[in-house]
Amino acid sequence: MRGVRPVNPQVATALLTGLSWVACATQTPDTIPRPTGAPPAGAPPAGALPAGATPVGATTAGATPSGTPAPAGTSPRFRFVDVAASSGLTRILRAGRPGKDHLLDSAGAGAAFLDYDGDGRLDVYLVNGWLLRGSNVMERGRNALYHGRPDGTFEDVTDRAGAGGEGRWGAGVAVADYDADGRPDILVTDFGPNLLYRNRGDGTFENVAPRLGLEDPGWNTGAAFFDADGDGDLDLYVASYIDCSLEDVLKAQRTLDWKGLEKVAFGPFGLTGAPDHFFRSEGGKRFTDATVAAGLQDRALGYGFGVRAADFDGDGDQDLYVANDSDANYLYRNEGDGTFKEVGVWSGCALDANGRTQASMGIAVGDAFGDGLLDLFTTNFAEDYSTLYRALGGGLFEDASEESGVGRITFLPMSWGTAFADLDNDGDLDLVVANGHIYPQVDAHPGVAGTYRQRNLLIENAGPAARPPFRDATAEAGPGFQVVESSRGLAVGDYDNDGDLDILITNLDAPPTLLRNDNPGGSWLTVVCEIPGGPSPPLGTTVTVKAGGRTQRRDIASGDSYLSSHDPRPHFGLGAAGTVDEVDVRWPDGTHTIRRAVPARRFLTIVKGA
Amino acid sequence: MRAQVRSRSVAPIIVIAGLVIAGLMVGAVVPVGAILDLAATPAAAQTGSPAPATPAELVATYGTLAEVILGAKKTEANLVRSILAAAHARAQAELARAEKATKADDAKGAQAAVENLAADVAQLATEGDNAVAAVRKQLLEGGHHHNAAGEAKGIYDEGFVIVTRAAKQAFLDSSRALGQMARAPKAEALEAEWTKVQATYSGLMK
Repeated sequence: MRGVRPVNPQVATALLTGLSWVACATQTPDTIPRPTGAPPAGAPPAGALPAGATPVGATTAGATPSGTPAPAGTSPRFRFVDVAASSGLTRILRAGRPGKDHLLDSAGAGAAFLDYDGDGRLDVYLVNGWLLRGSNVMERGRNALYHGRPDGTFEDVTDRAGAGGEGRWGAGVAVADYDADGRPDILVTDFGPNLLYRNRGDGTFENVAPRLGLEDPGWNTGAAFFDADGDGDLDLYVASYIDCSLEDVLKAQRTLDWKGLEKVAFGPFGLTGAPDHFFRSEGGKRFTDATVAAGLQDRALGYGFGVRAADFDGDGDQDLYVANDSDANYLYRNEGDGTFKEVGVWSGCALDANGRTQASMGIAVGDAFGDGLLDLFTTNFAEDYSTLYRALGGGLFEDASEESGVGRITFLPMSWGTAFADLDNDGDLDLVVANGHIYPQVDAHPGVAGTYRQRNLLIENAGPAARPPFRDATAEAGPGFQVVESSRGLAVGDYDNDGDLDILITNLDAPPTLLRNDNPGGSWLTVVCEIPGGPSPPLGTTVTVKAGGRTQRRDIASGDSYLSSHDPRPHFGLGAAGTVDEVDVRWPDGTHTIRRAVPARRFLTIVKGA
Repeated sequence: MRAQVRSRSVAPIIVIAGLVIAGLMVGAVVPVGAILDLAATPAAAQTGSPAPATPAELVATYGTLAEVILGAKKTEANLVRSILAAAHARAQAELARAEKATKADDAKGAQAAVENLAADVAQLATEGDNAVAAVRKQLLEGGHHHNAAGEAKGIYDEGFVIVTRAAKQAFLDSSRALGQMARAPKAEALEAEWTKVQATYSGLMK
């Protein structure tokens, strides 16, 4: 959340570049208010699934195919409808004061898709903040756990599950089976002590963070579980933002000058960054702070937000990327012995093409260019582009924002949650970006820097032959992408199990948005990976699919986007392919399971060793 | 009056300056009365009605403080030069290691050395590592810009002391190029990239 700073020519150059981009961009000012309490125009009746969609519940091999044509008169490629209200996702997500006097008021919180009860349908977890009036706490917002029903609606089971957040001001969520009992657990990072909800397996949870040594009070933000040392259990990295107290938050005044027009929330400049932490798991029984020993010390005291683990250099172990607001981003390369080396700057993914730090918030990881390498995308502040780092192999990157077309599309809005996802099932990864400014005061000055509530972005990957390969498809993406909120967290998942990816987005001071994907779409395959006696989902697993002359790769991660966690079932769009030539699952221990000649349009369960 | 002040021992002034500076450093407001008491007042006593003026002792203290401030800025520049020199020296050592490993067909050793070289060149670009970045941020948060005018003109990135934007970009380009050649380094390519680094470095340090 980079604040306002004196403009120097460097920034001015970027602004001018951006202005020229804006002139080219198709995005228009965001003025369409979101209807409240009712589904948007065009949305089907509450609880309805798209015609021809697979009934939810058939989550393994044999699920019926999707491929429903788009309704007449709509875009043949993308169509998303906000069904949050009609599906029961109604929890209002609190975010401090209306004026956003402190950065905590505008940081928002994350969301997760998970299947906590193993019924094959995705459930939803939402993290909540507090409602303030002046320096008074009016309401401690409760987190929400929603159980996915067979008809595509959700039931609020928060009370029954005992996962309401303990009255803390929540930030992020990462889902992982830390104790390898076959059930996903929920880590909630907080402004305050973290929560680790252990899944008891009977629909209830218990907070084990104090017992396991994970509370770590502070302004905790993004988190990622991953096996850092290859010992088979899941370690944890938690980013932190600013070193401040609740008293600082409650007493905050808007003192920062914004373009000479308004006083807005102060920071992050002038505030001290809080250090990130790394916790090494001792067989899932306890976590110990091994930040320094592992070489993961946050030496710049960066303002940390997004965290994502992945094998960026293709050497078989898990590396770690941390998005820092206004500081250089970190790429911690796993040295293969349980230690890490920070290589962000020279590997080309810490700064933008001009050598500048950016105000990074969220992260997307995926093979955007279809070359088998994991690319990186970071979302950034308004009037600065979000950055697509193209992987060059060996853990090296280059800023490809301009040539890819992503830069000009993302320049104007302030961006947060994000994901690479094949939203039209055509075999390549599109981008979705949640947007919203941090200063409500910008609305008093229309035309200066956009609006507080902003339209989210759908950026279509038009394929490697297209110039540029990415284009803004927001305007033609259906009513769901015309929703205007100040959005933050974003998680992608196929909640209705119909073979296409839906999008869950958190909004400040509002209920979430659930964008059901009603695209006609192409063929698809979703792979469910399981390790008997091992963690579920098996983090660090990579799935590679060959179909229709393309090779696609996905990995399973916990902690992604902005403070959020995606559906852990790798999804592949297959275009016109009716059969998948090969599915190769690389398990975290380096062994492979291969399936050949797999029929498309199904959920394929692959069990390690079977 | 000025002559009288000059003729007095400078020792009390230095003591006062030290007290004032120490006080200011811990954020205390030094009582003017106490300073005047400490400084004694022969000049004022000898003059019936002195013209309104800032007490000379305070002016002298301020002058001392100015020297400290300006000296600190020079010290900052020298310190950053030392940081750069240390990174440069490490880079030279890594270059030598890389060349030796390359000649010995030690691919693993060469890769490690070239990656270290890339990291050192990156630290030339960023005037130090992440820990230095934290110090730089601390200074910026306190409102200190070593090259405020240069930043305004776009010559320097915010908080940078020696490395200009152009030099930073050149170092970053070289560090990335070195990183890309780490897996299969060639002596000529290494030398060529190092020549660029040297040219940029020499330009900054002259």
